Amino acid sequence: MELIINSYGAYLHVKEQMFEVRLKPKGETQPQIHHFAVHKVKSILMAVGTALSTDAIKLAMYHNIDIVFLEHNGHPLGRVWHSKLGSTTKIRKKQLEASLSPRAIDFVKHWVGHKVENQLLFVKGLGKHRAQHLPYLQEKIDKLSALKTAIMALEGTMVAHIADTLRGLEGTAGRLYFETLSFVLPKAYRFEGRSSRPAKDAFNALLNYAYGVLYSRVERALIIAGLDPYVGFLHRDDYNQLSFVFDFIEPFRTFADKTVFRLMAAKKINKSHTDDITNGVSLNKEGKALLMQAFGEYLDQDTIRYRGRNQTRGNIIQLEAHRFAQILLETTDFEPQNTSQR
Amino acid sequence: MILWILYDIENDRARTKVATACKQAGLHRVQYSCFLGEIEADMRDTLGLKIRALIDEDKDKVYLFAMNQTQLQQCQMLGQAFDKKLITDQIKILFL
Repeated sequence: MELIINSYGAYLHVKEQMFEVRLKPKGETQPQIHHFAVHKVKSILMAVGTALSTDAIKLAMYHNIDIVFLEHNGHPLGRVWHSKLGSTTKIRKKQLEASLSPRAIDFVKHWVGHKVENQLLFVKGLGKHRAQHLPYLQEKIDKLSALKTAIMALEGTMVAHIADTLRGLEGTAGRLYFETLSFVLPKAYRFEGRSSRPAKDAFNALLNYAYGVLYSRVERALIIAGLDPYVGFLHRDDYNQLSFVFDFIEPFRTFADKTVFRLMAAKKINKSHTDDITNGVSLNKEGKALLMQAFGEYLDQDTIRYRGRNQTRGNIIQLEAHRFAQILLETTDFEPQNTSQR
Repeated sequence: MILWILYDIENDRARTKVATACKQAGLHRVQYSCFLGEIEADMRDTLGLKIRALIDEDKDKVYLFAMNQTQLQQCQMLGQAFDKKLITDQIKILFL
Protein backbone atom coordinates (compact mmCIF):
# COMPACT_ATOMS: atom_id res chain seq x y z
CA MET A 1 0.00 0.00 0.00
CA GLU A 2 0.95 3.60 -0.33
CA LEU A 3 1.34 5.38 2.98
CA ILE A 4 0.53 9.06 3.04
CA ILE A 5 1.64 10.71 6.23
CA ASN A 6 -0.10 14.00 6.45
CA SER A 7 -0.66 14.68 10.15
CA TYR A 8 1.34 17.44 11.72
CA GLY A 9 3.93 16.03 14.11
CA ALA A 10 3.68 12.45 12.86
CA TYR A 11 6.89 10.48 13.30
CA LEU A 12 7.99 7.60 11.08
CA HIS A 13 10.67 5.28 12.41
CA VAL A 14 11.58 1.61 12.63
CA LYS A 15 10.49 -0.83 15.30
CA GLU A 16 11.31 -4.52 15.11
CA GLN A 17 12.03 -4.34 11.38
CA MET A 18 8.67 -2.71 10.73
CA PHE A 19 7.70 0.85 9.98
CA GLU A 20 6.11 2.52 12.97
CA VAL A 21 4.10 5.68 12.61
CA ARG A 22 3.48 7.63 15.78
CA LEU A 23 0.67 10.16 15.70
CA LYS A 24 -0.35 12.68 18.30
CA PRO A 25 -4.00 13.48 17.74
CA LYS A 26 -5.07 16.87 19.04
CA GLY A 27 -6.34 16.89 22.60
CA GLU A 28 -5.15 13.38 23.35
CA THR A 29 -2.25 12.54 25.60
CA GLN A 30 -1.60 9.01 24.35
CA PRO A 31 0.05 8.78 20.93
CA GLN A 32 -1.58 6.61 18.29
CA ILE A 33 0.79 3.95 16.97
CA HIS A 34 0.54 2.05 13.69
CA HIS A 35 2.82 -0.73 12.50
CA PHE A 36 3.42 -1.72 8.89
CA ALA A 37 5.19 -4.81 7.65
CA VAL A 38 7.91 -3.80 5.22
CA HIS A 39 6.76 -5.88 2.27
CA LYS A 40 3.24 -4.45 2.43
CA VAL A 41 4.44 -0.90 1.83
CA LYS A 42 5.10 0.25 -1.72
CA SER A 43 5.91 3.88 -1.16
CA ILE A 44 5.72 6.48 1.56
CA LEU A 45 4.57 10.01 0.90
CA MET A 46 5.29 12.55 3.59
CA ALA A 47 3.77 15.98 3.85
CA VAL A 48 5.39 18.96 5.57
CA GLY A 49 5.54 18.98 9.36
CA THR A 50 6.34 15.29 9.79
CA ALA A 51 9.49 13.59 11.05
CA LEU A 52 11.52 10.67 9.77
CA SER A 53 14.37 8.59 11.18
CA THR A 54 17.48 7.54 9.27
CA ASP A 55 16.75 3.91 10.07
CA ALA A 56 13.41 4.26 8.34
CA ILE A 57 15.16 5.68 5.29
CA LYS A 58 17.61 2.78 5.31
CA LEU A 59 14.87 0.19 5.68
CA ALA A 60 12.98 1.77 2.81
CA MET A 61 16.07 1.76 0.60
CA TYR A 62 16.76 -1.90 1.30
CA HIS A 63 13.28 -2.79 0.16
CA ASN A 64 12.99 -0.51 -2.86
CA ILE A 65 10.40 1.65 -1.16
CA ASP A 66 10.56 5.28 -2.17
CA ILE A 67 10.00 8.07 0.30
CA VAL A 68 8.54 11.15 -1.34
CA PHE A 69 8.24 14.59 0.23
CA LEU A 70 5.13 16.48 -0.77
CA GLU A 71 4.39 20.16 -0.71
CA HIS A 72 1.06 21.49 0.53
CA ASN A 73 -0.43 21.25 -2.93
CA GLY A 74 0.66 17.65 -3.43
CA HIS A 75 3.61 18.39 -5.68
CA PRO A 76 6.61 16.17 -5.01
CA LEU A 77 9.52 18.20 -3.71
CA GLY A 78 11.98 15.34 -3.70
CA ARG A 79 12.43 11.71 -2.97
CA VAL A 80 14.76 9.35 -1.22
CA TRP A 81 15.75 6.50 -3.45
CA HIS A 82 18.96 4.47 -3.55
CA SER A 83 21.41 5.80 -6.07
CA LYS A 84 21.40 2.68 -8.21
CA LEU A 85 19.87 2.92 -11.64
CA GLY A 86 16.63 1.11 -12.20
CA SER A 87 18.13 -0.72 -15.12
CA THR A 88 21.02 -0.60 -17.56
CA THR A 89 22.80 2.66 -18.39
CA LYS A 90 22.27 1.82 -22.02
CA ILE A 91 18.67 2.97 -21.72
CA ARG A 92 19.74 6.42 -20.54
CA LYS A 93 22.22 6.75 -23.38
CA LYS A 94 19.57 5.74 -25.88
CA GLN A 95 17.15 8.21 -24.31
CA LEU A 96 19.59 11.08 -24.79
CA GLU A 97 20.23 9.98 -28.33
CA ALA A 98 16.54 9.66 -29.13
CA SER A 99 15.70 13.04 -27.62
CA LEU A 100 17.88 14.70 -30.26
CA SER A 101 16.95 12.47 -33.17
CA PRO A 102 14.01 12.63 -35.59
CA ARG A 103 12.41 9.79 -33.65
CA ALA A 104 11.63 12.30 -30.92
CA ILE A 105 8.94 13.83 -33.16
CA ASP A 106 7.01 10.56 -33.21
CA PHE A 107 7.27 10.26 -29.48
CA VAL A 108 6.04 13.73 -28.59
CA LYS A 109 3.24 13.56 -31.15
CA HIS A 110 2.20 10.27 -29.66
CA TRP A 111 2.14 11.51 -26.05
CA VAL A 112 0.28 14.71 -26.74
CA GLY A 113 -1.98 13.07 -29.33
CA HIS A 114 -2.75 10.36 -26.87
CA LYS A 115 -3.69 12.88 -24.21
CA VAL A 116 -6.09 14.65 -26.56
CA GLU A 117 -7.48 11.26 -27.58
CA ASN A 118 -8.13 10.42 -23.94
CA GLN A 119 -9.75 13.80 -23.36
CA LEU A 120 -11.91 13.15 -26.39
CA LEU A 121 -12.98 9.75 -25.12
CA PHE A 122 -13.80 11.19 -21.73
CA VAL A 123 -15.98 13.89 -23.29
CA LYS A 124 -17.68 11.25 -25.45
CA GLY A 125 -18.43 9.24 -22.32
CA LEU A 126 -20.04 12.27 -20.69
CA GLY A 127 -22.79 12.18 -23.29
CA LYS A 128 -24.02 8.75 -22.24
CA HIS A 129 -26.02 9.99 -19.28
CA ARG A 130 -26.44 13.58 -20.31
CA ALA A 131 -28.72 13.50 -23.32
CA GLN A 132 -29.68 17.15 -22.78
CA HIS A 133 -26.08 18.24 -23.42
CA LEU A 134 -25.51 16.09 -26.51
CA PRO A 135 -25.47 18.89 -29.11
CA TYR A 136 -23.03 20.90 -26.99
CA LEU A 137 -20.81 17.87 -26.40
CA GLN A 138 -20.89 16.87 -30.06
CA GLU A 139 -19.53 20.27 -31.05
CA LYS A 140 -16.64 19.87 -28.62
CA ILE A 141 -16.01 16.30 -29.73
CA ASP A 142 -15.69 17.45 -33.33
CA LYS A 143 -13.28 20.21 -32.40
CA LEU A 144 -11.17 17.93 -30.23
CA SER A 145 -10.91 15.27 -32.89
CA ALA A 146 -9.91 17.90 -35.44
CA LEU A 147 -7.17 19.01 -33.06
CA LYS A 148 -6.01 15.45 -32.61
CA THR A 149 -5.78 14.97 -36.36
CA ALA A 150 -3.85 18.22 -36.65
CA ILE A 151 -1.38 17.08 -34.00
CA MET A 152 -0.79 13.71 -35.61
CA ALA A 153 -0.31 15.39 -39.00
CA LEU A 154 2.54 17.63 -37.79
CA GLU A 155 5.77 16.98 -39.61
CA GLY A 156 9.36 18.00 -39.14
CA THR A 157 12.82 16.65 -38.63
CA MET A 158 13.43 18.14 -35.21
CA VAL A 159 11.14 18.64 -32.26
CA ALA A 160 11.99 22.34 -32.27
CA HIS A 161 10.33 22.68 -35.69
CA ILE A 162 6.95 21.58 -34.46
CA ALA A 163 7.17 22.43 -30.74
CA ASP A 164 5.38 25.79 -30.87
CA THR A 165 2.55 24.59 -33.10
CA LEU A 166 2.18 21.45 -31.01
CA ARG A 167 1.98 23.42 -27.77
CA GLY A 168 -0.58 25.72 -29.33
CA LEU A 169 -2.80 22.84 -30.42
CA GLU A 170 -2.37 21.13 -27.07
CA GLY A 171 -3.33 24.32 -25.25
CA THR A 172 -6.43 24.83 -27.36
CA ALA A 173 -7.49 21.25 -26.73
CA GLY A 174 -6.94 21.71 -23.01
CA ARG A 175 -9.05 24.86 -22.87
CA LEU A 176 -11.89 23.22 -24.82
CA TYR A 177 -11.72 20.14 -22.66
CA PHE A 178 -11.85 21.91 -19.29
CA GLU A 179 -14.54 24.26 -20.53
CA THR A 180 -16.61 21.17 -21.38
CA LEU A 181 -16.02 19.54 -18.01
CA SER A 182 -17.07 22.71 -16.23
CA PHE A 183 -20.19 23.06 -18.39
CA VAL A 184 -21.61 19.65 -17.46
CA LEU A 185 -20.94 19.98 -13.73
CA PRO A 186 -23.64 21.14 -11.31
CA LYS A 187 -23.72 24.97 -11.15
CA ALA A 188 -22.01 25.27 -7.78
CA TYR A 189 -19.05 23.22 -8.98
CA ARG A 190 -18.24 25.05 -12.19
CA PHE A 191 -14.84 26.63 -12.69
CA GLU A 192 -13.10 29.09 -14.93
CA GLY A 193 -10.23 27.34 -16.72
CA ARG A 194 -7.13 25.95 -15.11
CA SER A 195 -5.40 27.74 -12.28
CA SER A 196 -2.59 26.84 -9.96
CA ARG A 197 -0.50 28.48 -7.25
CA PRO A 198 -3.07 29.15 -5.97
CA ALA A 199 -6.01 27.29 -7.41
CA LYS A 200 -8.93 29.66 -7.88
CA ASP A 201 -11.62 27.06 -7.13
CA ALA A 202 -12.17 23.64 -5.60
CA PHE A 203 -11.92 21.82 -8.93
CA ASN A 204 -8.47 23.19 -9.61
CA ALA A 205 -7.33 22.64 -6.02
CA LEU A 206 -8.30 18.97 -6.28
CA LEU A 207 -6.83 18.57 -9.73
CA ASN A 208 -3.51 20.19 -8.80
CA TYR A 209 -3.15 17.86 -5.87
CA ALA A 210 -4.01 14.80 -7.94
CA TYR A 211 -1.55 15.84 -10.66
CA GLY A 212 1.11 16.30 -8.00
CA VAL A 213 0.67 12.75 -6.80
CA LEU A 214 0.59 11.53 -10.39
CA TYR A 215 3.91 13.31 -11.13
CA SER A 216 5.44 11.39 -8.31
CA ARG A 217 4.01 8.10 -9.60
CA VAL A 218 5.27 8.72 -13.11
CA GLU A 219 8.71 9.74 -11.89
CA ARG A 220 8.95 6.54 -9.87
CA ALA A 221 7.85 4.45 -12.85
CA LEU A 222 10.48 6.09 -15.07
CA ILE A 223 13.29 5.57 -12.58
CA ILE A 224 12.36 1.92 -12.14
CA ALA A 225 12.29 1.43 -15.90
CA GLY A 226 15.80 2.87 -16.12
CA LEU A 227 14.76 6.13 -17.79
CA ASP A 228 16.03 9.55 -16.83
CA PRO A 229 13.22 11.82 -15.55
CA TYR A 230 15.25 14.89 -16.49
CA VAL A 231 15.92 14.20 -20.16
CA GLY A 232 12.85 15.56 -21.86
CA PHE A 233 11.71 15.41 -25.46
CA LEU A 234 9.20 18.21 -25.82
CA HIS A 235 9.66 19.94 -22.51
CA ARG A 236 12.87 21.88 -22.55
CA ASP A 237 15.90 20.94 -20.51
CA ASP A 238 15.51 23.80 -18.11
CA TYR A 239 17.51 23.87 -14.94
CA ASN A 240 16.25 21.10 -12.68
CA GLN A 241 13.02 20.57 -14.59
CA LEU A 242 11.66 17.05 -14.57
CA SER A 243 11.18 17.43 -18.29
CA PHE A 244 10.64 13.82 -19.15
CA VAL A 245 8.05 13.35 -16.41
CA PHE A 246 6.04 16.17 -18.00
CA ASP A 247 6.30 14.49 -21.41
CA PHE A 248 5.46 11.03 -20.27
CA ILE A 249 2.59 11.98 -17.95
CA GLU A 250 0.45 13.43 -20.74
CA PRO A 251 -1.59 10.33 -21.65
CA PHE A 252 -2.19 9.57 -17.98
CA ARG A 253 -3.48 12.97 -16.92
CA THR A 254 -7.05 11.90 -17.61
CA PHE A 255 -6.74 9.44 -14.70
CA ALA A 256 -6.59 12.43 -12.38
CA ASP A 257 -9.18 14.40 -14.37
CA LYS A 258 -11.72 11.59 -14.16
CA THR A 259 -11.28 11.03 -10.46
CA VAL A 260 -11.73 14.71 -9.66
CA PHE A 261 -14.62 15.12 -12.08
CA ARG A 262 -16.48 12.16 -10.60
CA LEU A 263 -16.11 13.47 -7.06
CA MET A 264 -17.46 16.83 -8.19
CA ALA A 265 -20.26 15.45 -10.35
CA ALA A 266 -21.43 13.23 -7.48
CA LYS A 267 -21.36 16.30 -5.20
CA LYS A 268 -19.01 14.55 -2.80
CA ILE A 269 -16.94 17.68 -2.30
CA ASN A 270 -18.25 20.47 -0.14
CA LYS A 271 -17.06 23.50 1.81
CA SER A 272 -15.57 21.31 4.55
CA HIS A 273 -12.96 19.94 2.15
CA THR A 274 -11.35 23.20 1.15
CA ASP A 275 -9.99 26.27 2.89
CA ASP A 276 -10.13 29.77 1.49
CA ILE A 277 -6.73 31.37 1.12
CA THR A 278 -5.61 34.69 -0.37
CA ASN A 279 -6.75 34.79 -4.00
CA GLY A 280 -7.77 31.17 -4.08
CA VAL A 281 -8.71 27.86 -2.57
CA SER A 282 -6.60 25.19 -0.96
CA LEU A 283 -7.41 21.59 -0.19
CA ASN A 284 -7.42 20.71 3.51
CA LYS A 285 -6.70 17.46 5.28
CA GLU A 286 -10.22 16.06 4.90
CA GLY A 287 -10.27 17.02 1.24
CA LYS A 288 -6.92 15.37 0.60
CA ALA A 289 -7.99 12.18 2.36
CA LEU A 290 -11.20 11.99 0.32
CA LEU A 291 -9.40 12.66 -2.95
CA MET A 292 -6.57 10.23 -2.31
CA GLN A 293 -8.95 7.49 -1.27
CA ALA A 294 -10.83 7.85 -4.54
CA PHE A 295 -7.66 8.28 -6.61
CA GLY A 296 -6.03 5.29 -4.96
CA GLU A 297 -8.97 3.06 -5.75
CA TYR A 298 -9.05 4.30 -9.31
CA LEU A 299 -5.34 3.72 -9.82
CA ASP A 300 -4.62 0.61 -7.82
CA GLN A 301 -7.85 -1.30 -7.41
CA ASP A 302 -10.08 -1.03 -10.47
CA THR A 303 -8.67 -2.82 -13.46
CA ILE A 304 -8.99 -2.21 -17.19
CA ARG A 305 -8.04 -4.28 -20.19
CA TYR A 306 -4.49 -3.60 -21.30
CA ARG A 307 -2.65 -5.65 -23.91
CA GLY A 308 -4.82 -8.68 -23.38
CA ARG A 309 -4.72 -8.66 -19.59
CA ASN A 310 -6.57 -7.01 -16.76
CA GLN A 311 -4.33 -4.45 -15.14
CA THR A 312 -4.67 -1.63 -12.66
CA ARG A 313 -4.01 1.81 -14.07
CA GLY A 314 -1.08 2.22 -11.68
CA ASN A 315 0.51 -0.87 -13.19
CA ILE A 316 -0.14 0.36 -16.68
CA ILE A 317 1.95 3.47 -16.01
CA GLN A 318 4.83 1.21 -14.99
CA LEU A 319 4.35 -1.17 -17.91
CA GLU A 320 4.26 1.71 -20.36
CA ALA A 321 7.52 3.05 -18.92
CA HIS A 322 9.16 -0.36 -19.39
CA ARG A 323 7.74 -0.58 -22.86
CA PHE A 324 9.13 2.81 -23.77
CA ALA A 325 12.56 1.80 -22.46
CA GLN A 326 12.33 -1.29 -24.61
CA ILE A 327 11.39 0.78 -27.65
CA LEU A 328 14.47 2.94 -27.07
CA LEU A 329 16.68 -0.14 -26.96
CA GLU A 330 15.23 -1.54 -30.13
CA THR A 331 15.70 0.33 -33.31
CA THR A 332 12.30 -0.66 -34.64
CA ASP A 333 9.82 2.05 -35.43
CA PHE A 334 7.52 3.37 -32.81
CA GLU A 335 3.95 2.30 -33.33
CA PRO A 336 1.19 4.02 -31.45
CA GLN A 337 -1.10 1.62 -29.69
CA ASN A 338 -4.76 1.59 -29.05
CA THR A 339 -5.76 2.19 -25.47
CA SER A 340 -9.29 3.26 -26.12
CA GLN A 341 -10.43 1.97 -22.76
CA ARG A 342 -8.65 4.68 -20.90
CA MET B 1 -4.32 -16.59 0.77
CA ILE B 2 -5.88 -15.37 3.98
CA LEU B 3 -4.32 -16.81 7.09
CA TRP B 4 -5.68 -17.05 10.62
CA ILE B 5 -3.23 -17.70 13.39
CA LEU B 6 -4.54 -18.59 16.83
CA TYR B 7 -2.35 -19.45 19.73
CA ASP B 8 -2.07 -20.35 23.38
CA ILE B 9 1.51 -19.87 24.49
CA GLU B 10 2.50 -20.06 28.14
CA ASN B 11 5.85 -18.31 28.13
CA ASP B 12 5.51 -14.52 27.95
CA ARG B 13 8.74 -14.01 26.02
CA ALA B 14 7.88 -16.62 23.43
CA ARG B 15 4.37 -15.23 23.08
CA THR B 16 5.63 -11.71 22.44
CA LYS B 17 8.08 -13.00 19.87
CA VAL B 18 5.39 -14.94 18.05
CA ALA B 19 3.19 -11.85 17.97
CA THR B 20 6.05 -9.80 16.51
CA ALA B 21 6.75 -12.45 13.86
CA CYS B 22 3.08 -12.33 12.83
CA LYS B 23 3.17 -8.54 12.56
CA GLN B 24 6.36 -8.63 10.53
CA ALA B 25 4.69 -11.05 8.14
CA GLY B 26 2.04 -8.39 7.56
CA LEU B 27 -0.77 -9.93 9.57
CA HIS B 28 -3.13 -7.86 11.67
CA ARG B 29 -3.88 -8.46 15.30
CA VAL B 30 -7.64 -8.97 15.48
CA GLN B 31 -7.70 -10.31 19.02
CA TYR B 32 -5.14 -10.78 21.78
CA SER B 33 -4.03 -14.19 20.59
CA CYS B 34 -5.34 -14.10 17.07
CA PHE B 35 -3.76 -12.70 13.91
CA LEU B 36 -5.28 -12.47 10.47
CA GLY B 37 -4.23 -11.21 7.06
CA GLU B 38 -3.30 -11.73 3.44
CA ILE B 39 -0.07 -13.68 2.98
CA GLU B 40 1.90 -15.48 0.27
CA ALA B 41 2.32 -19.24 0.58
CA ASP B 42 6.11 -19.13 0.97
CA MET B 43 5.85 -16.47 3.63
CA ARG B 44 3.35 -18.59 5.49
CA ASP B 45 5.78 -21.51 5.48
CA THR B 46 8.58 -19.30 6.80
CA LEU B 47 6.31 -17.95 9.52
CA GLY B 48 5.26 -21.50 10.48
CA LEU B 49 8.91 -22.50 10.89
CA LYS B 50 9.69 -19.38 12.90
CA ILE B 51 6.83 -20.03 15.28
CA ARG B 52 7.74 -23.68 15.68
CA ALA B 53 11.22 -22.64 16.81
CA LEU B 54 9.82 -20.22 19.38
CA ILE B 55 7.18 -22.30 21.13
CA ASP B 56 7.34 -25.17 23.56
CA GLU B 57 5.89 -28.01 21.54
CA ASP B 58 4.97 -29.96 24.66
CA LYS B 59 2.74 -27.26 26.13
CA ASP B 60 1.75 -24.61 23.60
CA LYS B 61 -0.94 -24.72 20.92
CA VAL B 62 -0.77 -22.80 17.64
CA TYR B 63 -3.13 -23.07 14.69
CA LEU B 64 -2.54 -21.75 11.20
CA PHE B 65 -5.78 -21.82 9.20
CA ALA B 66 -5.81 -20.73 5.58
CA MET B 67 -8.89 -19.58 3.70
CA ASN B 68 -9.66 -17.81 0.45
CA GLN B 69 -11.53 -14.59 -0.28
CA THR B 70 -14.85 -16.31 -0.91
CA GLN B 71 -14.68 -18.13 2.39
CA LEU B 72 -13.85 -14.91 4.21
CA GLN B 73 -16.86 -13.21 2.63
CA GLN B 74 -19.04 -16.00 4.04
CA CYS B 75 -17.80 -15.41 7.57
CA GLN B 76 -20.10 -13.71 10.02
CA MET B 77 -18.65 -10.92 12.06
CA LEU B 78 -20.45 -9.39 14.99
CA GLY B 79 -19.78 -6.54 17.32
CA GLN B 80 -16.50 -4.67 17.09
CA ALA B 81 -15.19 -6.80 14.25
CA PHE B 82 -12.22 -5.93 12.03
CA ASP B 83 -12.28 -4.15 8.71
CA LYS B 84 -12.48 -6.74 5.92
CA LYS B 85 -10.87 -4.36 3.45
CA LEU B 86 -7.81 -3.88 5.62
CA ILE B 87 -7.38 -7.60 6.21
CA THR B 88 -7.51 -8.46 2.53
CA ASP B 89 -5.05 -5.70 1.52
CA GLN B 90 -7.69 -3.84 -0.43
CA ILE B 91 -6.69 -0.55 1.11
CA LYS B 92 -4.13 0.73 -1.35
CA ILE B 93 -3.67 4.18 0.06
CA LEU B 94 -3.62 4.86 3.76
CA PHE B 95 -3.87 8.40 4.99
CA LEU B 96 -2.40 9.02 8.40
